[in-house]
Amino acid sequence: MKTIFFYVRIYCMIVAQYIKARLNYRTDFIISFFGMLFRDLTGLFALWIIFKSIPQLEGWTYYELVFLYSFSLLSLTPLQLFFDNVWELRYHVIEGTFIKYYFKPLNMMFYFMSEVFDIKGLSQLLFAIIGLIYASMHLDISWTASNIVLFIALFLSSSLIMISLMIIGAATAFWIFNPFAILEFIFNLRDFSRYPLSIFNSFFKYLFTFIIPLGFIAYYPMLVFLRPGTTPNIIYICPAVGAGLFVLACLFWTKGVGSYSGTGS
Amino acid sequence: MNKYLHVTKMTLMLGFVYRMHFFFTAVGNALYIMLIYFLWKAIYKNAEGTIHGMTFQQVFLYLACAASIFLLFRSYLEWMMSEDVISGRIIMNLLKPVDYQSMMLFSTSGFTIFNLITVTIPTFIVLGILLRNTFNFGINILFFLVAVFMAFLLSFIIDYIMGSFSFYTESIWGISIAKEAIVLFLSGALIPIRFFPGNMQVIMSCLPFQAIYNIPLSILTDSRLMVTDYISAIGLQCFWLVVLLFISRIFFKHALKMVTVNGG
Repeated sequence: MKTIFFYVRIYCMIVAQYIKARLNYRTDFIISFFGMLFRDLTGLFALWIIFKSIPQLEGWTYYELVFLYSFSLLSLTPLQLFFDNVWELRYHVIEGTFIKYYFKPLNMMFYFMSEVFDIKGLSQLLFAIIGLIYASMHLDISWTASNIVLFIALFLSSSLIMISLMIIGAATAFWIFNPFAILEFIFNLRDFSRYPLSIFNSFFKYLFTFIIPLGFIAYYPMLVFLRPGTTPNIIYICPAVGAGLFVLACLFWTKGVGSYSGTGS
Repeated sequence: MNKYLHVTKMTLMLGFVYRMHFFFTAVGNALYIMLIYFLWKAIYKNAEGTIHGMTFQQVFLYLACAASIFLLFRSYLEWMMSEDVISGRIIMNLLKPVDYQSMMLFSTSGFTIFNLITVTIPTFIVLGILLRNTFNFGINILFFLVAVFMAFLLSFIIDYIMGSFSFYTESIWGISIAKEAIVLFLSGALIPIRFFPGNMQVIMSCLPFQAIYNIPLSILTDSRLMVTDYISAIGLQCFWLVVLLFISRIFFKHALKMVTVNGG
């Protein structure tokens, strides 16, 4: 049974090789880095412009929304950095190259995902952290040691949500031919995670809480910090949602991997 | 002319084959319009009727149409060109007795026509019924159609210029993302131009992006405009068409030299 330390060591080795290879494409990295930055900045500017015309949105101030937006970006960063290979799964399945993952003595999902470490995701990480700092400077949040630990725990559990959804979307490639539209659709759902759920009517509130838990990517975890004392139980539910969804995703992946029969002998 | 139309027909047929792509695109579009609805409803909640001279219905109609038009124009052209360059297929395409840019134009037209029939027109019909009071029904519809057609050409040329960058870099992702963010933001498609501060509005009016979204959408929804405004707006689109076309031809020729110099 491989230990977690083994996997961490292997991961570092695989990623180091990958980064060395990518260093040849320095222009690509710089362009992608700034491309991502532009995209994230546009979201921020949009918020800024909206709040030039209104003082608050459903009881939320500008800085609270910046905080929410930055946290949603932060939650999406692990997906971008570690799981970017989800977009390529469909090609491997179609072309038959996926079969190679069966033959190594490594967990298949780990092996597959470790092949791509998306360095440009670091720009999103940087932007999210700066955004959080900028917002919390204007907010009344006490960053005690226990609060920081809580923040990290909530961040980890909420990052699992989009990761799990994307794994499920990518794994449909085992049954459906080239499910790019599904992946793109799921990925675009992140738009919903950057606004407070309170703007929606009860149908969508229910949908994004219980059916497709987008609310747990940023909104519910951040209620703990932005509206302390109002929803104490969220702290316990968030990790459960993240972990539960990830288990579901792994099961779905395993089912897909089991049913894949390659592209012929 | 026939050879070009054949390419259009091929990509149009492709749309009918990729039914799943159509389904998820349509659902995604509907969901996004829902998001616009709820977000702006919340924005207008404490306002007394109008913000910057626009009512909630006007803003919602404007942005919902913007989302639909964005979908209509989205052709992944820069990705197709990037594929061509990386795979080397670009050489074959350039050797053919057809103009590469024209071929790309007719190719993307197929996807656009498919999106038009399956998503855009139904969306506009639904919006038209729900918001018939906000719609401006009159001669402006004709001008709107012309403006949308012009906007399609402008969007295509910008994508083509972006696609030409694939001669210089391996991955077109960063450029594509940046282009999308900048175009949508500075064209009034994410937030109506009137919400922007004055000096930003001046900058935006000097850029071609608002000719893609703001011009057709204003023609459709702004009741204060008159026929003279419509004509000058379309004139502005023509101006940008000529300028951008010129830039795209020069840039592509320059980018092509990059390939031949590298022995590609």
